[in-house]
Amino acid sequence: MSDFLTSPEVQNLIKPGEKLITTHCCYCGMQCGMHIRVDEKTGAVKGVEPRYDFPVNKGKLCPKGVTAYQTIEHPDRILTPLIKRNGKFEQATWEEALDVIEENFKRIQREHGKDAVSVFGGVSMTNEKCYLVGKYARVALGTRFIDYNGRFCMSSAAGGFLKTLGIDRGATLPWTEFEHVDTFFVAGSNIAECHPTTTQHIWKAKDKGAKIIVADPREIPMARVADVHLDLKPGTDAALAMGLLNFLVEHDYVDQAYVDERCDNYEELKASVRDWSLERTSEVTGVAIEKIEKAGHIYGKSPRSVMLFARGVEQQSKGVDNVSLYTSMALLRGMIGKFASGVATMTGQGNGQGGREHGQKADLLPGYRKLTDPKAVEYVSGVWGIDPSEMPKPGVSAFEMFDEIQAGTIRAMHLMCSNPAVSAPNLPYVWDSFNKLDFFVVSDFFMSESCEFADVVLPACSWAEDEGTTTNLEGRVIRIRKVREPLGESLPDWEIMKRIAERMGRGQYFPYETPLEIWEEFRIATKGGPADYSGITWDRIDNEYGVFWPCPSEDHPGTPTMFKERFGTANGKANLPVVTYRPAGEYANEEYPVTLTTGRVVFHYLTGNQTRRIDFLSTMSKLPFVEIHPELASSYGLQTGDKVELKTRRGSMIVEARLTKAIRKDTVFVPYHWGKELAINQLTNPCLDPMSRMPEFKVCAVKMKKLPANTPLHVNPLTVPLGSSVPFMADHAIATSCHIMDEEVPTK
Amino acid sequence: MNKVMYLEFERCIGCRACQAACRECGDHDGLERNYVDYIDFSESRQTFPMICMQCKNPACAQVCPANAIQITPEGVVLSASEEKCIGCRNCTFACPFGIPKFDFEKNKMYKCDMCYDRSKHDIAPMCASVCPSDAIRFIDHDEMMQLRRQRVQMNMIEGKKPSQDDKWNYVPEFFGVYSD
Ligand code: SF4
Ligand code: SF4
Ligand code: SF4
Repeated sequence: MSDFLTSPEVQNLIKPGEKLITTHCCYCGMQCGMHIRVDEKTGAVKGVEPRYDFPVNKGKLCPKGVTAYQTIEHPDRILTPLIKRNGKFEQATWEEALDVIEENFKRIQREHGKDAVSVFGGVSMTNEKCYLVGKYARVALGTRFIDYNGRFCMSSAAGGFLKTLGIDRGATLPWTEFEHVDTFFVAGSNIAECHPTTTQHIWKAKDKGAKIIVADPREIPMARVADVHLDLKPGTDAALAMGLLNFLVEHDYVDQAYVDERCDNYEELKASVRDWSLERTSEVTGVAIEKIEKAGHIYGKSPRSVMLFARGVEQQSKGVDNVSLYTSMALLRGMIGKFASGVATMTGQGNGQGGREHGQKADLLPGYRKLTDPKAVEYVSGVWGIDPSEMPKPGVSAFEMFDEIQAGTIRAMHLMCSNPAVSAPNLPYVWDSFNKLDFFVVSDFFMSESCEFADVVLPACSWAEDEGTTTNLEGRVIRIRKVREPLGESLPDWEIMKRIAERMGRGQYFPYETPLEIWEEFRIATKGGPADYSGITWDRIDNEYGVFWPCPSEDHPGTPTMFKERFGTANGKANLPVVTYRPAGEYANEEYPVTLTTGRVVFHYLTGNQTRRIDFLSTMSKLPFVEIHPELASSYGLQTGDKVELKTRRGSMIVEARLTKAIRKDTVFVPYHWGKELAINQLTNPCLDPMSRMPEFKVCAVKMKKLPANTPLHVNPLTVPLGSSVPFMADHAIATSCHIMDEEVPTK
Repeated sequence: MNKVMYLEFERCIGCRACQAACRECGDHDGLERNYVDYIDFSESRQTFPMICMQCKNPACAQVCPANAIQITPEGVVLSASEEKCIGCRNCTFACPFGIPKFDFEKNKMYKCDMCYDRSKHDIAPMCASVCPSDAIRFIDHDEMMQLRRQRVQMNMIEGKKPSQDDKWNYVPEFFGVYSD
């Protein structure tokens, strides 16, 4: 444990008998700095104290961050391994649990080949752990089937950035430059609720006269004060961006010198957006012409602008197109690689950036190397000490793993740090797939909805019980500190993987005693790759408030601003995309007349498995709801508080109505943080982006029905008490195909 | 302490971090003393935070028959002292901002005290520390005056002029509440 506590120049309140441990929030990609208060004698966690000196959040926290420490010693923590016998979970020792895992993994691999065992990872873990998940799947289990929950989060942003800029680093500029920005274009990103601590930087710029443009079907808190709110129909971002690109061209807002010198394909792009007149753009997007014009002029005239987007544009079947087009707006204006301007995606998960770079993705190896590149395979095999021929081939994306289960190719799964029984689209299909697994292991620290399907549950420890690093949404690598010893018999994920590797006879490849040893190996594994961490040390992170990758040597300062001289493509030039507009996989028609979009509320994180257990957060937001415009509501006779049945081609659910004019009249919104009968993902469309394999969470067609006032609402128990049989089994008709209007296309 | 709490309602994003953080202040027994509410959710998502104004002539203290509400030398209006509070709840009715709350278990009033254990050392209260959008700030008196002037300047630069209907959007340079 490190003795670095608080910066000497910053005044904090330290209570007698307590000490402060400097770390970061466990939740979103902001990775806000914070101190955790710990009792000096007992080591018990006492609370939180702001960390005023951390430059990204300056002590600020959202309510999730304020209460994050309450997860650490929460009474719901899983404290021992659990084995399911006769449908009931029973406590077990580590030895017993590992025996069962070894026996089943070996049996299944013997009978069905190595690939029959799969790994599903997550990116709310440290870089050390995320890196190890890839190595664990490929070296310990020897399977090609590995993917992770970032597929539902960052994959479209990654795809779009790789296509246009050549390197996928979420932000091309550091957040500390935001206060000097002149215009923020915020597309499909509810910053106030999903990354609240960013707002302080935006307001600071606004105080100096910065303009804000918001593109969102809802009047999100930031849209309230925006100069223009482009209230577009869900799923029409590409049209809006093409209209604006055309507008920039027509009004001579293109930075021609920059484009000539640094971009390829400009003429083709120009030709491809020529048809997107203001009239057509307005017709497709549903946004008034004057608003598009105003946004175009503001963005076009601004000398320093930042394009910010998030899941709203990415979680679509054309997420990659949307990202490439919005990024191109910044390129045409010559904004990327300069001071206080650029483009950034708001990373959803804590380590969504670092976790996607180092080999949890089906086709990637550490350092953002490609598994299809023989040189990369050779280098990484060398670091791992295996023969390159042993390296498994690329597998399939997260949602497609469920197809492989249905097809019988995947028969066992080890799920870590993720809860796809709530977060995946078309849940009835996912639940059915979990039931079809021959053997299912889940590591988690709270009993998630996915755990309930497991044969063995392994108690992982929380973020505060291990050391390591994460990479925040800027690309800044930061340090997570151990606050206390692991509770009960819980173990850090890396130790769990190590123990299973030992049982699989591959222990020699996992000789780690501390996370620092993993970090040192990881640095070497990333060396020379696009995401090069080899020059970053834990000490440097402490001394420099984090280090930005790429950082290829210890005397390299790190890279806060990307692409200053060249882009990450082969010839160093950015690729402007040519996109053919496609509508969303599903759109409103007579039978399903309303558009459904989903998202977050400020009080919950992802599937709510942590935040729903926190007193303050669950009091503030107990159940999902559906946000409806009063005009739409009145055609159904709905008032706030009425119960509504929502139904799509895949499933249905009952929620309470909340009326507000802060949403489009043809669109309803439901947050996704709840499981089982309360999961909106029972309804969402698994129509995948052809490149990123991102499902279309943000758009599907729904019909609504008002229900009698006495209809009971479901309330899910959060934890299955030990020894009780697992209460929930979906009994649904299962739609197995991805829905694209006018034609049924099978998911594979 | 020459610092003030500076509120900018239109910045509030309704995250309620200030409320969560209020519970975390060491002397607050896990009870929040501020509140956040929607202006009218059916119209817009605008919310506002409310904390104690630390009035110069606090109505809460004036109506207290037991003299239980003390004012510190810095001017912070504290929660009722446990020994003196008789649980009459006069203060909860007197405060125009709805700040004093009543703990029915302990039969005692509690209220926002600007996290006195922090602010007396010039450390920001919890709500102002965490508010992610700077809707609540703990700043020097001079900085506050500067900010108020800046508002007027920005309005002039942007050519905005108050009219009879929206004059409340314009913060006058000197509002009269604060004085040196
Ligand atoms: S959830 Fe995100 S914004 Fe909120 S405190 Fe944690 S890191 Fe910061
Ligand atoms: S913390 Fe700030 S933004 Fe959030 S509710 Fe409170 S005042 Fe509003
Ligand atoms: S509690 Fe109310 S009356 Fe008393 S000082 Fe605060 S704002 Fe004024």
